[in-house]
Amino acid sequence: MADFRTSTQRERWIFQSHDLMERWAAANQRAAQTLAQYGTTRLNVDLLDGSVSYPESMPDHVEGSSVVKPLSYEEEQLTRVFYEQKIQEVCAAFKFPHKIQATAIIYFKRFYLQWSVMEHQPKHIMLTCVYASCKVEENHVSAEELGKGIQQDHQIILNNEMILLKTLDFDLIVYAPYRSIEGFIDDLEDFCRAGNGPFQRLKELRQAAISHVDKMMLTDAPLLYTPGQLALAALHKSNDLLRVVDFERYLEIIFSRQHSDCPIEQFVQSINEINYLVDQLNIPTVKDMRHVDRKLKHCWDPSSHDEHNKKKEKKSKHKSKRTSTDAQL
Amino acid sequence: MASAGNSGSGDDDAGGKLLADRYQKGEVLGEGTYGVVFKAIDTKTGNTVAVKRIRIGKDKKEGVNFTALREIKLLKELKDPNIIELIDCFPYKENLHLVFEFMETDLEALIKDKNIILSPADTKSYVQMMLKGLAFCHKKWVLHRDMKPNNLLIGADGQLKLADFGLARVFGSPGRNFTHQVFARWYRAPELLFGSKQYGSGVDIWAAGCIFAELLTRRAFLQGSSDIDQLGKIFAALGTPKSSQWPDMVYLPDYVEYQYVAAPPLRTLFPMASDDALDLLSKMLTYDPKARISAQQALEHRYFSSLPAPTRPSQLPRPRRKGDQGNNKIPDLNLQDGPMVLSPPRKLRRVTAHEGMEGMHRTDKVDEHPSGMRHTDDMPSQSSRIPMSVDVGAVFGTRPAPRPTLNSADKSRLKRKLDMDPEFGYAE
Repeated sequence: MADFRTSTQRERWIFQSHDLMERWAAANQRAAQTLAQYGTTRLNVDLLDGSVSYPESMPDHVEGSSVVKPLSYEEEQLTRVFYEQKIQEVCAAFKFPHKIQATAIIYFKRFYLQWSVMEHQPKHIMLTCVYASCKVEENHVSAEELGKGIQQDHQIILNNEMILLKTLDFDLIVYAPYRSIEGFIDDLEDFCRAGNGPFQRLKELRQAAISHVDKMMLTDAPLLYTPGQLALAALHKSNDLLRVVDFERYLEIIFSRQHSDCPIEQFVQSINEINYLVDQLNIPTVKDMRHVDRKLKHCWDPSSHDEHNKKKEKKSKHKSKRTSTDAQL
Repeated sequence: MASAGNSGSGDDDAGGKLLADRYQKGEVLGEGTYGVVFKAIDTKTGNTVAVKRIRIGKDKKEGVNFTALREIKLLKELKDPNIIELIDCFPYKENLHLVFEFMETDLEALIKDKNIILSPADTKSYVQMMLKGLAFCHKKWVLHRDMKPNNLLIGADGQLKLADFGLARVFGSPGRNFTHQVFARWYRAPELLFGSKQYGSGVDIWAAGCIFAELLTRRAFLQGSSDIDQLGKIFAALGTPKSSQWPDMVYLPDYVEYQYVAAPPLRTLFPMASDDALDLLSKMLTYDPKARISAQQALEHRYFSSLPAPTRPSQLPRPRRKGDQGNNKIPDLNLQDGPMVLSPPRKLRRVTAHEGMEGMHRTDKVDEHPSGMRHTDDMPSQSSRIPMSVDVGAVFGTRPAPRPTLNSADKSRLKRKLDMDPEFGYAE
């Protein structure tokens, strides 16, 4: 569906930075309050209609007395990036097209704009996002098949489908920069034929830009900018490295053709902002996530906190067991 | 729409049995394989809506219904006066609910309603709205893939809108294959019947051409009973395609050679249609999909700019409510209608049983070639038939036709005559 201009994405899912921060902070605070009040953050979800209810108070919980700490705002951010990268790995393993990968990541980002990772397990939501993306992009993979491929019960995938769709407000069509890159590369071929640069190296440029977009998808940029802006930012960055064309001259030509309301200086600033976000991207490793993941488990099941403390006091023979558990990430 | 961020779950029935705290349920409008469609009042806007309810079973292996998801995703992005509006979408209890604007009837009901006379301007108006809806879809790279009269809904304001996007999909990505098992058979394009899996917007145009033909004749155009029979009927009506007309046809997966039959003139199939109408129709029913007219080009065809101008939607004839259509199927009413409406003055004679039988026979013949123009020609003589209707009633023991029918027909004719004047032209 090649009309981003009239899309729900443009109308409803492109934000200002402060809006994003407000939403993330609100979700984080709500989860922290839930933890203080009920002793756990994990919400109960009705599988059929995706409605949510507060958890039962833990049996031994006294309000306000919890020794379990909620994740911080920054820890949540790290968790989201970690699982978005996992989506890329899962999609690569299944050899799904970039469109499905991008759609799944966007669904994940939109979901956790409204919920905290403490409220719904990101590992499960991630899988449901991939499943829903395959369905919507008409590259259907059964939940069973998907589940087998990643050694997970397929029911986990289906359990969250309705709450995901509801949270997305059923806005299912997503535009990603990959298609925009193809369009700009075609355009650059004409630009090159007009004597502005070597035609043959555009393939290198295209591949480099696609790799750059893969990183870009893990930043907040897809929630802040349009696919066309993201694509041009990726091409600009890749061209800086490869020196294939005179990109400034190309931008001037685009703008003279478009009679754009937006001055080129403002557009270049957006491109720079996007690439700054990519430069600042910190993809956590499994090791980085160990501490955060442990906190997350305690938020969902505080009794595991006591278990953990007991284990600490025991002899080193139990270390291998803990390592094995962590490796399941 | 229930707030997605709402982490509490209130009792949805608390507000006096409103569905999801918003919709006041009404009568059932229809049922299908998907579930039930019922009427409702949107208490937020006061508008009447139609709610499609789709079961979500937790036993199912694949979660939310794929067809429903497809309809939702596309209608969420398609906003046009000639495409049905999806107002809301929400799960409730064990069902997914899709809320649509309410539409009074559909084109199939209109075509079959013998009490409705369609003028050439009326037909032109419906075809124009159908093509506007299609042009919008195709501009957004969406194929409808189920164009047929009962998927073309008509609102209280006379606007025709494309509905049922359960078979629709995005096209335009190179290399993607689609199923060829789309469209109801009578509306299926020849390239689909030959098994093509790589096709484009031409398949919707072919179906729209069949609907255009159906509006002209008031009966379905090519009524095949199998794919082979469908192709046979297409070729009998439009001539067997030659390689020069459609070079690629021999490469289609299920291509079969048919005995050559030359194309009869389209005029013989649609004797009352104007030259412009026939020209547009022939371009919509062109065999080679690459040569077939597009929706946008069709809208620019001189058919729509020549007289008579298309009837303004608000002035189009009003069919009876869908729920009342059943009344038209009572045989004795049809018996009464036939001779009354169709006997020309020169055959005016005292009614006998034999005359009655002739009337029935004439009804059958008219079914084969009715057109708005022909009905219009018959109109002036209609009022002189009132005594006949009394006699018919007396002889066959049926009620005479009520006067309001004649009066409303006269009013309708007068309105349409006014609409045909250039001054009252309906600007596109």
